[in-house]
Amino acid sequence: MNANILLGLSPLLIVAVGALVLMVVEALSRFRDERLESPSASLAVSSSVVLFASAIAAAGVWFYGPENLPEVSSLAPWLLLDRFSLFFFVILTLGGALSCLLAGGYLPEHKLDRGEFYPLLLLSTVGAMTLAAAGDMLTIFLGLEAMSLGVYTMVAFRRGSPRSIEAALKYFLLGSFAAALLLYGGALLYGATGHTDLSGIGSQLANTGLRLVKSDSEVPSDMLLIAYDNAVPLVMVGLVLILVGLAFKVSAVPFHMWTPDAYEGAPTPATTYMAVVVKAAAFALMLRVLLIAFADAKTASWGTGWPPVVAGLAVATMTVANVIAVRQESVKRMLAYSSIAHAGTLLIAVVAATKATQQAEASMIYYLLAYTVSTAGAFGTLILCGSRGAEAVSYEDLAGLGRRHPAIAFAFSLFLLSLAGVPPLAGFFGKFYLFRVAIDNGFTMLAVLGLLNSVIAAYYYLRVLVVMYMKEPEPGAPIAVPMRSGYVAAALLISAVLVVLLGLLPNGTLEAAILAAG
Amino acid sequence: MTSIPLEYYLVVAAVIFVIGACGFLARRNALIVLMSIELMLNAVNLTLVAFNRWYASHHVGQMFTFFIIAVAAAEAAVGLAIVVALFRLKRTVRTDSVDLLKN
Repeated sequence: MNANILLGLSPLLIVAVGALVLMVVEALSRFRDERLESPSASLAVSSSVVLFASAIAAAGVWFYGPENLPEVSSLAPWLLLDRFSLFFFVILTLGGALSCLLAGGYLPEHKLDRGEFYPLLLLSTVGAMTLAAAGDMLTIFLGLEAMSLGVYTMVAFRRGSPRSIEAALKYFLLGSFAAALLLYGGALLYGATGHTDLSGIGSQLANTGLRLVKSDSEVPSDMLLIAYDNAVPLVMVGLVLILVGLAFKVSAVPFHMWTPDAYEGAPTPATTYMAVVVKAAAFALMLRVLLIAFADAKTASWGTGWPPVVAGLAVATMTVANVIAVRQESVKRMLAYSSIAHAGTLLIAVVAATKATQQAEASMIYYLLAYTVSTAGAFGTLILCGSRGAEAVSYEDLAGLGRRHPAIAFAFSLFLLSLAGVPPLAGFFGKFYLFRVAIDNGFTMLAVLGLLNSVIAAYYYLRVLVVMYMKEPEPGAPIAVPMRSGYVAAALLISAVLVVLLGLLPNGTLEAAILAAG
Repeated sequence: MTSIPLEYYLVVAAVIFVIGACGFLARRNALIVLMSIELMLNAVNLTLVAFNRWYASHHVGQMFTFFIIAVAAAEAAVGLAIVVALFRLKRTVRTDSVDLLKN
């Protein structure tokens, strides 16, 4: 362990150490903080500072160049600290920091003001970052569980609410089930190839064409009962189990059932965190697993491998999620379905990555960044629109918001238009690059279906705008009363600036994304 | 002396995994669902250890198993906490009692 390794690991270490310190601080300061209006508000600021510091550290390593830190390669294959990981570190910590700031406003307002939310969020982010950098089934499993265990508790944070507990139970059960499937797939692949690291699995599959090679070591002769040809079904079953596990994690249809419930029942900052950080980390995992371990000519080809399955998942996910989202009456649930639909769009790029890995990965990274700031902003405005006892839930709650609170309505419109993909906002360029990569590589049909789905999606995003600006609340109907919070306002300001900047000046970020994918 | 062939371990593990998966999908008691997940994880452990006999030159599979056992314990702790919270609210741990969130 020398200084260069510490430097390379600094984004992870800052968050991990920060979480532990904040946990102790929170435990010790509980008694003297009663004079403060909100006991945990200072924790919200300090945790977002920790996360931003980690993002800055990741950017520092990026500009210093991971290739100038040769020692970090000794962490491979467990942790791959390449530019891909560093870019994901920035996305994950940014999403985490925005969720922290939103929690700083939301939790006191809704009398959930317990400080342990922030250490949980930080530790969960450590798991997400580990997952994004993992190159071995072991670190994948550890990162996945470290991330998920934190999120389960954050979802259940409103202990007295049946909805929150129901959301947590569903998320926990299906999340653990998916992890078990993923693990069993990994175990079968270990049996077939003798490797748990993704590159080892990949090179074994490429060299032998789905054929088990005899281990170079001495094998007990009575254990040679597995004929070499039997490794083919082993790999196939392993691939299917891993695909299903990944589909659960990125909430692709038909493995999405838990998502709307978990997103709706969770406290909104936890929902933001799930929609942003967990999703980005799951896509990083998916890219790594499919493009390193299953990238050989046979498994990654359209005829004999996983691409048609992922393409089918993409089309089903986009279509089903958008059609159901149109029918929702709750804005939060609509945003949950919208996040599933975005996952479907991202799956198009996973398919395109079999032809043009660098461009497709770059478009995904850019899309995820744009999606992160837009979604965090949209959920943030939804938080800001409501206060205790007068929450913004259904479309009708937002009626007339454009006249009563023009600034909030404007911010909400900005984020929704970005999610809908309206130029010149961030979401537009995300969609533009992604579809262009798909078309350039011959996946025109997928891109066309994606575009048609964007049209459906525009309907339900614009419906919010129509309600806000063109409808007045029914006399006597409950309306949402916006809350006041500097933290939420700060988070929205950061997201809004990024949404506009990523839209107006996409080139620098896109070049960085291409570098990260390279 | 002959030892038990690898296939036997794999078949037992696969059967345990399927029992766990069926229990997960079919049972309505949250505690039994939790136990089913544990069964699935233990089937993975058995598979890894059995395969590690095959690849005698390293101990990756056995090491992996230790991590799974540790994480499964943490997972059970969080899962039981959620089930306890559910029981406090509903006085039951049946998963079909949670039906507030629907389309």
